Amino acid sequence: MQKEDLLLKVQDIFRDVLDDEEIVLSETSTAEDVEGWDSLTHIQLIVAIEKKFKIKFTSKEILSWKNVGELIDCLASKLA
Amino acid sequence: MSFNSLPFLLFFVVVFTLYWFPLREKTKAQNILILLASWFFYGYASLKMLPLLIGATALFYGIGLALKHCKSEKGASWISALGVVLGVGLLLYFKYFNFFIESFSSLFGALGLQTNWHTFQIILPLGLSFITFKLISYVVEIRRGKLEPETDFIAFAAYVAFFPCLLSGPIDRPQFLGQLHKTRSFDYDTAAEGIRQFLWGLAKKVLIADRCSLVIDPVWENISGASGSMLLTAALLFSFQMYTDFSGYSDMAIGTGKLLGFRVARNFNYPFFATNVAEYWRRWHMSLTGWLTDYVFMPLNVRFRDWGQFGMILAIVINMVLVGLWHGANWTFGVFGLYHGLLFVPLILSGAFAKKHKLKPGWLGLPKLSDFGGMVLTFLLVTVGLIIFKADSIAQAWQYLAGMAHLETLKGFYLFFLHPDFRTKTVLIIALMILEWRNRTVEFPLVPLKCYHWAVRYAIYLVLVCLLIMLWGKNLTFLYIEF
Repeated sequence: MQKEDLLLKVQDIFRDVLDDEEIVLSETSTAEDVEGWDSLTHIQLIVAIEKKFKIKFTSKEILSWKNVGELIDCLASKLA
Repeated sequence: MSFNSLPFLLFFVVVFTLYWFPLREKTKAQNILILLASWFFYGYASLKMLPLLIGATALFYGIGLALKHCKSEKGASWISALGVVLGVGLLLYFKYFNFFIESFSSLFGALGLQTNWHTFQIILPLGLSFITFKLISYVVEIRRGKLEPETDFIAFAAYVAFFPCLLSGPIDRPQFLGQLHKTRSFDYDTAAEGIRQFLWGLAKKVLIADRCSLVIDPVWENISGASGSMLLTAALLFSFQMYTDFSGYSDMAIGTGKLLGFRVARNFNYPFFATNVAEYWRRWHMSLTGWLTDYVFMPLNVRFRDWGQFGMILAIVINMVLVGLWHGANWTFGVFGLYHGLLFVPLILSGAFAKKHKLKPGWLGLPKLSDFGGMVLTFLLVTVGLIIFKADSIAQAWQYLAGMAHLETLKGFYLFFLHPDFRTKTVLIIALMILEWRNRTVEFPLVPLKCYHWAVRYAIYLVLVCLLIMLWGKNLTFLYIEF
């Protein structure tokens, strides 16, 4: 799957979990750019992504992402 | 050298003058000045412990460099683990060693086993809880790939010892180092805002916190002799004292930082307007709760994520017990944390935990009734927690709470609001709450003054200064210095 497709799918998950259809993600998006994305909802987003793609991130991976791009890169490497 | 003392004023005038005149825009020289001033500030408070501060700084600087040069993943993992263990070890040794000995001794004693363990004379270095948290976050941020190890020792040591935040926070993250590398030009607006914030913090400390202690201290010295209503009044006042004292201190620290051209982490965001306990902790001592959220709650939450709500409850209870114990080696702090952790349970189960509630004003710009009810309930729950927090022992906290548990206590509200002895304090507290409510979207209530006509602005300063002079009482130390 292309990174652009992954980004769109992850964006759908964000919209669903954060209950906001107006969220638009880019690779440089961070928690500061997305209303409602904080340390609490972060975990709900991770669980939703893991369920959707049937993969498992490690704790180290989750805690080291600086933006959506790094999340997508990590996700792509799991799916490859 | 407390912020509300003459020696600090003289010290700061010297630092400020050197910093902005001969050293203006000479970043390295300014950093050296900050470092020397910070070490002097620390040595003035506790000369014996200065070598420990310098030693710990050098050690963690070395750990950062070792991480920079380490090529293997395993090696980096060991070095960062060593850094965290050293940071936690420093805290455990100085703050909790005797507590562990006493607790194990009494546990064995309760089981009928005799021990001859002795406690040691360990003096808690000032500001250690704040300094070690800075050092640990430095190592963790490098390990997480979010920070480059610092190669400039002066800048690193100035970050660790930055005197406005050295003794009681706010706890700045190592990303603060970025500000130490930038050229700092004098900006009149930032400096003026710094003075306003310092003045606001001082006003809260002198006009409310110090005056409240005159009522609270005698009640705590004789709990059994105090009536239920007096206990309630002192408990309500203690919540305001704690808030105005610590947030006043933080405002003075942040204001001092702004006068030197730095943005220091925010520590309070009008916590008494929180409509539930989760919201309260997002607004109270934010630099500590943010730190623990990133380095304790998040890793635990990530690890427990497959356990659903139970995992989140477990993570938050552990996190809150640590928030409590961070304040000191006493079971009261542990119970205080556990109490707050348990208050989160209904919020997690109902889903209210993760929702950020936006306060929308109702009639006449006042809070809506439902919001106001939530604020009062949260305030009362916090007040109960602070009784446990202030008590010397669980037994004393229980004695205090039991002393309030009868109908006569309700007179406490009369005492609080109408009794002539409490009138000035009540008026000042209500004035504070109104000012805070009206200015709740800005960092502190004096921010809008910059837009006022200069005559009005200076008239307000004059009134505040006159009030400070008139009501300046005994110069009390800040409550959070002891942590």
